[in-house]
Amino acid sequence: MKEKDVYVEFKPHQLVLYVEKDDDSYGPVQTGSFMAKNYLDDYFEKFEKWEKSLREQLKKGEISPVYYYMILQSFGEGDLASRVGVSKRKLKQHFKMEYFEKLKLSQIKKYADAFDIPVASLFQLMMSKHDEKEKISIKQMETQNPYFVISKVEMA
Amino acid sequence: MKEINFEHKMGAHCESGTVTALLNHKGLEISEPMVFGISGNIFFGYMESSNFSFPTFIVRNKPGSIRKNFGKYTGVKFHTKSFKSKEKGEAYLNNLINNDIPTAAQVDFYYMDYLPEWQRVHINVHFVTLIGKNETDYLVSDSYFPKKAKIDINRMTKARFVNGFMAPKGFLFYPEYIPGNIDLNKAIIKGIKKSAYNMIKIPIPFLGIKGMRKFARKVVDWPKITRDIDHLSHEIMKITLLLEDQGTGGAGYRYLFATFLQEASEKLNDGSFKDMSKRMMEIGDNWRNISYFAAKIGKNRDLGPERLKELSNMINDRADEEQIFFTDLYKLVK
Repeated sequence: MKEKDVYVEFKPHQLVLYVEKDDDSYGPVQTGSFMAKNYLDDYFEKFEKWEKSLREQLKKGEISPVYYYMILQSFGEGDLASRVGVSKRKLKQHFKMEYFEKLKLSQIKKYADAFDIPVASLFQLMMSKHDEKEKISIKQMETQNPYFVISKVEMA
Repeated sequence: MKEINFEHKMGAHCESGTVTALLNHKGLEISEPMVFGISGNIFFGYMESSNFSFPTFIVRNKPGSIRKNFGKYTGVKFHTKSFKSKEKGEAYLNNLINNDIPTAAQVDFYYMDYLPEWQRVHINVHFVTLIGKNETDYLVSDSYFPKKAKIDINRMTKARFVNGFMAPKGFLFYPEYIPGNIDLNKAIIKGIKKSAYNMIKIPIPFLGIKGMRKFARKVVDWPKITRDIDHLSHEIMKITLLLEDQGTGGAGYRYLFATFLQEASEKLNDGSFKDMSKRMMEIGDNWRNISYFAAKIGKNRDLGPERLKELSNMINDRADEEQIFFTDLYKLVK
């Protein structure tokens, strides 16, 4: 790839590519990500559609929060099962509310840790009205108690 | 903030970038393509495993093999350590930083929150260098980020001690001994031999050129294993991400490998490797065309059987090209 063809203006996502320079030598250049610059909107659009569809299923109790977060965070079932220390068969059971509701709190905590979220987020989704999205931020602050989190709503 | 005097540089790839930066810090002047090439890391594999959310492919050798193979072929010794206890792992790292030793850590990439959220996925084989700390944060040199970054100490410890596929177990490494008389020419030949062997001779049906052909066969069936058209579009566009955006230097490491061959030609004073480097650059351009094509059909949801067949044919063409290329390369070093 020629150096002149490689540059993409996209500051938030930089990377290094190896290119053919004018003097025929090959070497590294830093540039913006071609994918992020051109296709990020499409990525977010798909992600929002999935989130909405999974949320509807979650609201009806058709899936558990374990399944919701596993799909959104693109976990492989084997990887997630290993992270929380259960068999794949057990993990699949935990996709259903009838099994999820019987889980011990300590087990739920392991799922929360794997998803890097507070335990509370396995029981609630906090949302704001679409037009207020930019104005409000919700910070979930950890406490020394691993099962207890304080959520602070802040206006930008 | 305690900060080690360490030159931060972006790299194409996290492991080769980290190993290169640490070697440079220790006094060995060597480039990232040279580290990548000597360690025999150009590769291909088509993977179907429950550890991944969907079938995927790899374009480099096993994580950890850059450090291991580079050490094996050059005589460089790396100090390595894993931990069962988080507390011991954290204390050990802190002690190294206090003693001015920049140290590489294996982490779950997802936790590196200085990077944009769309870039971060759960993968336990990201490598960063820890180069400083204060009461609350570590200072990190990450090949994927333009400058030095801060990360919360607890977050870094989580990232080092998550469980799961290829769990990091707090793994740390740094170069502790660099021989004065490294025979780079010999190491280059060994690296090339390993790469060529892995691509054309490795007797495993989903690795090397065989892996490319498997990928070409399987991709046409992806509509059967996706949830809907958006999911299919996502997985097809991930082909572009894996080839271009996830630390490959472009075209699935093919440009990085071409650069290595050009440097190798100068070191070995052998023009035949320069010819090979040009051929590899062209092969890289053809992989890059796959990236553009996959992104375009994915975004347009133009994912009917004919388009996927077209994509499959393009992958098969790369397999044909690389079969000839690596056979010729193998002959040069045999």
